[in-house]
Amino acid sequence: EGLIEFYDSFKDMFEFFCKNTTIHGTIRLVCSDSNRMKTAFWTLLLLASFGMLYWQFALMFSQYWAYPVVLTMSMHSEPKMFPAITICNLDPYRFELVSEHLIQLDQMAEESIAFLYGINTSASLFHMNEKNIHVKDLGNLSRSSFKLSPNFSLLRMSDHNNRSRNKHSSVGFRLCNATGGNCFYKTYSSGMDAILEWYRFHYMNIMSQLPVIINISDHTEHIEDMVYSCQYDGEPCRPGDYVHFHHPVFGSCYTFNSKGTDSFWTATKPGIPYGLSLILRAEQKDHIPLLSTVAGVKVMIHNHNQTPFLEHEGFDIRPGIATTIGIQQDEVNRLGGNYGKCTTNGNDVDVKLLYNNSYTLQACLHSCFQHIMIRKCGCGYYYYPLPPGAEYCDYNKQPAWGHCFYQLYSRLRNHHLNCFDQCPKPCRESLYKVSAGTAKWPSSKSQDWIRQALRHQNGYNSTSNRLDIAKVTIFYQQLNYQSVNESPLLSENLLLSSMGSQWSLWFGSSVLSVVEMFELLIDTLVLSLLFCYQRFRSKKT
Amino acid sequence: SAMAPGKKITARIKRTLPVKGPQAPTLSELMRWYCLNTNTHGCRRIVVSRGRLRRFIWILLTLSAVGLILWQCALLLKSYYSASVSVTVQFQKLPFPAVTICNINPYKYSAMKDYLSELDKETKKALETFYGFSEGKSKVRRSVDEWNSTGSDFFQQIPLLKFEDFSNTATDLRSGQKRKIEGNVFHKDSSIVNSGDSNDIIGFQLCDANNSSECALYTFSSGVNAIQEWYKLHYMNIMAQIPLETKEKLSYSADDLLLTCFFDGLSCDKRHFTRFHHPLHGNCYIFNSGENGTILSTSTAGSEYGLQVVLYIDEADYNPFLVTSTGAKIIVHDQNEYPFIEDIGTEIETAVATSIGMHFTQSRKLSKPYSDCTETGADIPVENLYNKSYSLQICLHSCFQKAMVDSCGCAQYTQPLPAGAEYCNYKKNPNWSKYSNTSCIACASTARCQPHPSAAPSPVGTAVPQYFCVFFQDWMLRVLSWDKGQKLNKKLNKTDLANLMVFYKDLNERSISENPTNTIVTLLSNFGGQLGLWMSCSVVCVIEIVEVFFIDSLSIVMRHQWQKAKKWWNNRKAERSGKPPQAEDLERQGHDNPVCIDEDLPTFNTALRLPLPRDSPLPRTPPPNYSTLRLETAFKEQLPDTLDVGQR
Repeated sequence: EGLIEFYDSFKDMFEFFCKNTTIHGTIRLVCSDSNRMKTAFWTLLLLASFGMLYWQFALMFSQYWAYPVVLTMSMHSEPKMFPAITICNLDPYRFELVSEHLIQLDQMAEESIAFLYGINTSASLFHMNEKNIHVKDLGNLSRSSFKLSPNFSLLRMSDHNNRSRNKHSSVGFRLCNATGGNCFYKTYSSGMDAILEWYRFHYMNIMSQLPVIINISDHTEHIEDMVYSCQYDGEPCRPGDYVHFHHPVFGSCYTFNSKGTDSFWTATKPGIPYGLSLILRAEQKDHIPLLSTVAGVKVMIHNHNQTPFLEHEGFDIRPGIATTIGIQQDEVNRLGGNYGKCTTNGNDVDVKLLYNNSYTLQACLHSCFQHIMIRKCGCGYYYYPLPPGAEYCDYNKQPAWGHCFYQLYSRLRNHHLNCFDQCPKPCRESLYKVSAGTAKWPSSKSQDWIRQALRHQNGYNSTSNRLDIAKVTIFYQQLNYQSVNESPLLSENLLLSSMGSQWSLWFGSSVLSVVEMFELLIDTLVLSLLFCYQRFRSKKT
Repeated sequence: SAMAPGKKITARIKRTLPVKGPQAPTLSELMRWYCLNTNTHGCRRIVVSRGRLRRFIWILLTLSAVGLILWQCALLLKSYYSASVSVTVQFQKLPFPAVTICNINPYKYSAMKDYLSELDKETKKALETFYGFSEGKSKVRRSVDEWNSTGSDFFQQIPLLKFEDFSNTATDLRSGQKRKIEGNVFHKDSSIVNSGDSNDIIGFQLCDANNSSECALYTFSSGVNAIQEWYKLHYMNIMAQIPLETKEKLSYSADDLLLTCFFDGLSCDKRHFTRFHHPLHGNCYIFNSGENGTILSTSTAGSEYGLQVVLYIDEADYNPFLVTSTGAKIIVHDQNEYPFIEDIGTEIETAVATSIGMHFTQSRKLSKPYSDCTETGADIPVENLYNKSYSLQICLHSCFQKAMVDSCGCAQYTQPLPAGAEYCNYKKNPNWSKYSNTSCIACASTARCQPHPSAAPSPVGTAVPQYFCVFFQDWMLRVLSWDKGQKLNKKLNKTDLANLMVFYKDLNERSISENPTNTIVTLLSNFGGQLGLWMSCSVVCVIEIVEVFFIDSLSIVMRHQWQKAKKWWNNRKAERSGKPPQAEDLERQGHDNPVCIDEDLPTFNTALRLPLPRDSPLPRTPPPNYSTLRLETAFKEQLPDTLDVGQR
């Protein structure tokens, strides 16, 4: 027997195929020779079942290519890490380098308020706080030639619409583009919102004078000025457990357990006694009074290695109150790929992240906006980090940036910028559901000794009865967390199974039968080639 | 007739026995037979294909199809135990959950004076020495009749200490003398919040009573915590010695706590509340506990139709060292669940109204083998000490209490007693406290506790308080004071009152339930699909494979072995008798071997192949039925007779 053998003739080949094929219909069709009616009947039958099969296949594939998902929910109870907790004292620094400008700004604000509401209201608004923050590194930086711009003054506008009887008036300021055209008013129905926004706008310009990286680690303010007691699971927190950073609006911020790798922070039991308990100073120090009007402490619960966006997800703690915050964790796992848009680590996203932490939707949106801002307006928004080579906006250098920024920002909010398309959701998300209870703290019976103890040990120096301490306890309400997972409704495995079922039902053939057909095809080709060659040679000779 | 009687019987058995031997005498013949006759695709091609390459390819294809079938079926099996979630929402009348309400302060301080005077004196003294704190108002202390004061020597045993600079000396609060501290320091990491200049740290030391060198030192990040912890330690010891009836009297009565009560728009009173004594929170009151068999339900959602109570929180009667916050603690739970007030209770504030809106969510998980959860908790090796339905929290606490009793010999005050154990106190178990904070915590592992399948409906309370600025107006205070005035002659202050509303936000019952994705029917049909897809195989062909490859092949192998043994035996016998063995016999094998055919009844195939004469030339096997073997000379010459063979 040779390695490769071929048939002697086409007839031989077809006979062989007829005899040995496993495709049910074809045997009857090809091999029921010499009976025309039978052949016709079987042809019809074969075609019909063929049609049915492919119709079913089409249905199946269209369902498969829609990539349907099914949600599965599972409950996990393994011990896990306590989330990262960021607290901020809502008291931004008054840096020495810009303090002069800030004083000017405060004066300007006073004047505007006097202008808008009459002289007698403005007097008590500001008590000049002379405590400036001196940062060593900035000593050699010369004072820039920054000047507060008088072009953006607050105005009161009465409603032009005379038909409505109630006279509406709104307060706002005017923004124009570089050539002075295309002006619009940034107005608010409440004067308070207008003043705050106006103040914030000037504040950003002033703060852009500061260098991008400010080393605040050797700064005079320490954690013990804000946190009087810190306990986790009944044990005191350790020095390495927190990260300090400065936020231009929320002031000094401390993130506990930011990395989430230390076994100290493993949550072993649910309940208040096993959570993080803090005694905080929640005093309003009024370094920059018009920036935020809230007293207390801002708290945010977030994932490890995540930049806390306090303006979006933080909540406030009232002074004089013990707040117990119960958290419940939910996890969402998305499939990604064909099943939906999501990213595992942000590497496949077009937007270059400006935060050097793990990917979040919020970080991506901010980065996306900042990139667009730099492209369109030529400078960066002060509250977002800067990409290399760019600088923060300053109306001395870019007089029209406000005009550009507010327009861009409203376009972002109305989903006209494609940031929402460019930033997919992360495939794996932890959501913390928070519920809070409050009680008066310290109680009138115990406040004397508590204040005395704090005064003696923590350098707490308030003698008045003002409420300026707060207690926060953050704990897991339950340790088992639900995770919602997407899984494909129709996996390849099941698709093949149902394909096989259909195939068996209509055809009774298998993949191997198809290979048989292939073999037949190849054989036909080779045979015809061979015969051609033979004829060619016989002609020659 | 010439046969021996034994042989006759075997021949007869063979004739009547329905079982025939395999279809072929040798393994290769059997395989060939199988491949020609099976319905499984691919196999036939191995045999009938012409040329070694084709055969090889077909063998490869068939084997890979088998492999694919096995792999895919394994995948199907693996994903068999998966569950899908269905969420249904229905609108209906909902059972109202149980609401447990406790005052944060467990016992009336004025009533506790007798028991706690010693401890309070000690605490005040500590505050005075450490912080220079003294109560300005009443320097004159009432002489309290001494209550069974074994405490004093025990305060000496565990005094508050002031550590200096982490050196090994500490100042004793009581005597003012310095002592040398030995033993390993717990919590010794310098705390982050101690400012550098004041380096005094307050803590206490717990020693083993038998072996005083084995000590554990507890320090705290703040003096406030240290004093509270130290106070609590002694407090629990004192409370453990007071009988339950006395404690219930010392705590608040329902009349003390509840001023007004409305449920579903109708007035309710203390009869709707069940008293429940909590070791740390004193008397708590459970609304709608379902104790008398009826569970209230609401038919209307909204804050008007839930539970509305005004609580009287007498701040003046608070224990200043034990509790530092003022208010009440509440928890919304199912009637079958134990209220873990100390762990997950929500605090509510005085002088404001707190409203808690609830959703009703019922979740049901599939238990084993779909997930790791328990239906009743009966299959968990931890004994349930609470007579309520299983929950993870119950399991953890029971587990801890068990470990505590095992290692310390006594039970912790805050949790229920296991059978035969009693609460720790210094008189009987002088060194319990040493363990209470250290080793037992490690014992309580969460590993054994499985999540609760939550078969019972669990109302999920979203306790986000909504504040109404000044809730208690003057006229209300006056009316409430008058109501209360029969017993208490003082005007109520708004800081002594707390208003609580618990209600359903909507009456939609969400039930999240898991269902198995696969049933045995779908699994089988998927198996069928896979078998059909790759090889057009069925259960019958699987049986066929088992028959041919296992039973028949085995019998052939066995027969061969038997023949060999028999031949060997015959040879040996012949050697003994002196005859030389017959060389021809050795060469004959398979169906040519007459010995072989002799034993069994001839099958159809073997019957056709009678042994040829010994001197005949090749082929020894008669030509088989296939055209393939004849066509060795393909393409050289078309012989008419080969075509005939093919046509046959």
